[in-house]
Amino acid sequence: MSQNEDLRIGVYVCHCGSNIASVIDPKAVAEFASALPDVVLTNNSLYTCSDAGQRQIQEDIKNHKLNRVVVAACSVRLHEPTFRACVAEAGLNPFLFEMANIREQDTWVHSHEPEGALEKAKDLVASAVAKSRFLTPLDMIKVPVTKTAMVIGGGVAGISSALDLADMGIKTYLVEKEPSIGGRMAQLNKTFPTMDCSI
Amino acid sequence: MVDAARHPNITVKSYTEVKRVEGFIGNFKVLVEEKPRYVNMDRCNGCGACSPVCPIEIPNEFEEGIAPRKAIYIPHAQAVPLRYVIDEEACIHCYKCVDACGKLDAIDFSQQPRQEWLDVGSILVATGFDNFDPSVIKEYGFGRYANVITAMELERINNSAGPTAGRIMRPSDSKFPNKISFIQCVGSRDERYNLYCSGFCCMYTIKNAVQWKQTYPDADITIFYMDIRTPSKGYEEFYRRAREMGIRFIQGRPSIITEDPKTGNLFIQAEDVGLGRTIELESEMVILSTAAIPRVDTDAMGSVLNISRSPDGFFMEYHPKLRPVDSPTDGVFLCGAAQSPKDIPASVAQGSAAASRAARILNADEWEIEPIVAMVWEDRCISAQGKKCGICATKCPYGAILVETGKAAMVTAAKCHGCGGCVAECPHNAITQKHFTDAQVISQLHALLRHEPEKKVLAFMCHWCSYGGADNAGTSHFEYPASQRGLRVMCSARMDSDFIFEAFRLGAGVVLVSGCHPQDCHYITGQRVGAERFEKLTKRLVDMGISPQRFRVEWISAAEGAKYAQVIREMDQTLRQIDPQALKEEIERTRPELERRVRRLPEIPDVALALELAKATS
Ligand SMILES: Cc1cc2nc3c(=O)[nH]c(=O)nc-3n(C[C@H](O)[C@H](O)[C@H](O)COP(=O)(O)OP(=O)(O)OC[C@H]3O[C@@H](n4cnc5c(N)ncnc54)[C@H](O)[C@@H]3O)c2cc1C
Ligand code: SF4
Repeated sequence: MSQNEDLRIGVYVCHCGSNIASVIDPKAVAEFASALPDVVLTNNSLYTCSDAGQRQIQEDIKNHKLNRVVVAACSVRLHEPTFRACVAEAGLNPFLFEMANIREQDTWVHSHEPEGALEKAKDLVASAVAKSRFLTPLDMIKVPVTKTAMVIGGGVAGISSALDLADMGIKTYLVEKEPSIGGRMAQLNKTFPTMDCSI
Repeated sequence: MVDAARHPNITVKSYTEVKRVEGFIGNFKVLVEEKPRYVNMDRCNGCGACSPVCPIEIPNEFEEGIAPRKAIYIPHAQAVPLRYVIDEEACIHCYKCVDACGKLDAIDFSQQPRQEWLDVGSILVATGFDNFDPSVIKEYGFGRYANVITAMELERINNSAGPTAGRIMRPSDSKFPNKISFIQCVGSRDERYNLYCSGFCCMYTIKNAVQWKQTYPDADITIFYMDIRTPSKGYEEFYRRAREMGIRFIQGRPSIITEDPKTGNLFIQAEDVGLGRTIELESEMVILSTAAIPRVDTDAMGSVLNISRSPDGFFMEYHPKLRPVDSPTDGVFLCGAAQSPKDIPASVAQGSAAASRAARILNADEWEIEPIVAMVWEDRCISAQGKKCGICATKCPYGAILVETGKAAMVTAAKCHGCGGCVAECPHNAITQKHFTDAQVISQLHALLRHEPEKKVLAFMCHWCSYGGADNAGTSHFEYPASQRGLRVMCSARMDSDFIFEAFRLGAGVVLVSGCHPQDCHYITGQRVGAERFEKLTKRLVDMGISPQRFRVEWISAAEGAKYAQVIREMDQTLRQIDPQALKEEIERTRPELERRVRRLPEIPDVALALELAKATS
């Protein structure tokens, strides 16, 4: 656990082009982060999620023996999977990665309050760094897969998906609540764009 | 349709509904119920001897009520499966059909609803849409004026297999109408009903108008529209052709339709935007292009499947741009008009997209799921010491925790979805959630409140909804004060009372706990576990002397960015209205009691260290 470990945290503050950098100075955030305990490296890049940005993280993990990575950029809902995969490729457990959302939840909503946005970015980074100290490596849980699909709704969308799945060799239940499949399309006369009959 | 029924890998379960879904990606168990057809599917050969003898006649839904059907019927001539069915509500049990069926002996009134559990690895939701009922727009007289019909009714009248055998006639007098008008955006793009564009009605109206004009070149056809939407391949060209054929397009939404009761003809009043004045037009028949709306049972299906709705009411995708056919629940996908109104080409494309997303999982030998699950500290669990407890198990929506007195509670990791409700509810702090441990959350709290905490709006957010709502505020650039500090956990169920006590102990100005609306909760009942706790907590905080306006609970969906921004604005405003000196005094006054509340926190592994580190850094 963390108390026995020599922590080496790397913090990456992204510009996201001008999305972040037009409101706050990412360098100031990085400078702030460099003063936090156990942070051994900070970095700014134009786009941390770019190939070059990710490669930099991977090289730093190797060269600077980083064992925690914090990226301050966009939403976890967007790029957490990207960066987890990035650190994993460099041999770091993906759950030793943490993210601070300084775009959607900071510069994009506080563009008229740049000073407040900067203070907030620092706090968000401090929070991510603080959490990162207590992160532990985790392994994905592997579950078996039942190789059968269920499609609910037998309209044209459901029928198309069921046929595709079935052609891929997957057993598929097509569940339709009416006595017949077909959905609305079955009611139509001729259909655009081809003007042929619908069924 | 026939291809699907014939495919060796497809089992069509018609007249069947989904009742319950359990399990998780790769391992769903689905309870389905087949309604009784009262006709034996193996014996019925679709000969049709039964239907003519049935004395009952009720409106035929497939024909939009224009034609009747019997109580024993097939939905339409191309039905798949082509087997008769008895409409239980309409049937009077005269048994004439039994006699007509004779030796085939296919009619079986002893049938009961049949339930079965099916094991599947992935679920695709393709439940489609409903048509808006235009009778609520009183000005158009649908339901009162015989010759005002819907576009779907026209599809049936204009169909060689339809009730008029394709002979076009208007309802009032069965005469052929030569002068007809179409009205677009009925129930769509209208603040009173639905804001969205239904997408395909411009094209189907043009289709129907072109077809009509081709068959009857003398016909006088007018289309009243707001804007014509033809964005897909070849559609604009099709629209051009309609104009070239002499179909009249008038931009303007009709305000009222009146009827001449003698002729049954209709008078449409509309503002003609092109002419810049009001016009009146007589028509022998008016066809309403009604909006595509969410299915009536969308809410019920949503809660069975644990998926939520967008503000327009259709099922919500995981991400509108990057994961358009994924639902927020792993292993459940969306396609077709269930996700938003779309035409056939788009529905087919999404069907294929959803199939390939599902096949990724179904063709894998095993699937990896996130290890963000609950874990018991056996030495802290009082059940292990022989005391009766089991609170954790009662809070788990998935039945993932097994408690036997004498043994520590046991979590089945593959069943745990990681809401964290058990963790927050355990009175002995004997469970933690991996990746959202107490030490981690408390470290974050201290960092976020390290500087002028009394000026901060501390916002706990759940990953799926309120954090998504905050993101949505961001992508929409809805500004709110920078005094907000957000802390994300997976579900409102994880927001431990201790976290809130600790936030106030640290001097937070105001505290927000925010999560999904109950019907949107990604952990079935996780939100409810949180909501019950917050209700008690609200009272307790007041008892402790904390001003009620300093604590707020809000349910905010991932689509409600405007609401998120508004809530933060209001909370910031509230905070500014409190006299700073009074606030300071309140914080000092309540601190001893808050300290008492959180005194046992340091017993939790790593928390003491987290507190020590926080002190050193501040
Ligand atoms: C008047 C009109 C004319 C149109 N003309 C055209 C045209 O010319 N060209 C074109 O491209 N598009 C046209 N469309 C659009 C077309 O109808 C849709 O694109 C298409 O029907 C969408 O298919 P779907 O499978 O998503 O939904 P649906 O067709 O609605 O099918 C959904 C199916 O799911 C079933 N279902 C629903 N709920 C459940 C449940 N809980 N359990 C099990 N089953 C369930 C339903 O019974 C139905 O069979 C027209 C639409 C209208 C209204
Ligand atoms: S497709 Fe055309 S008629 Fe339908 S809602 Fe959109 S603009 Fe209106």
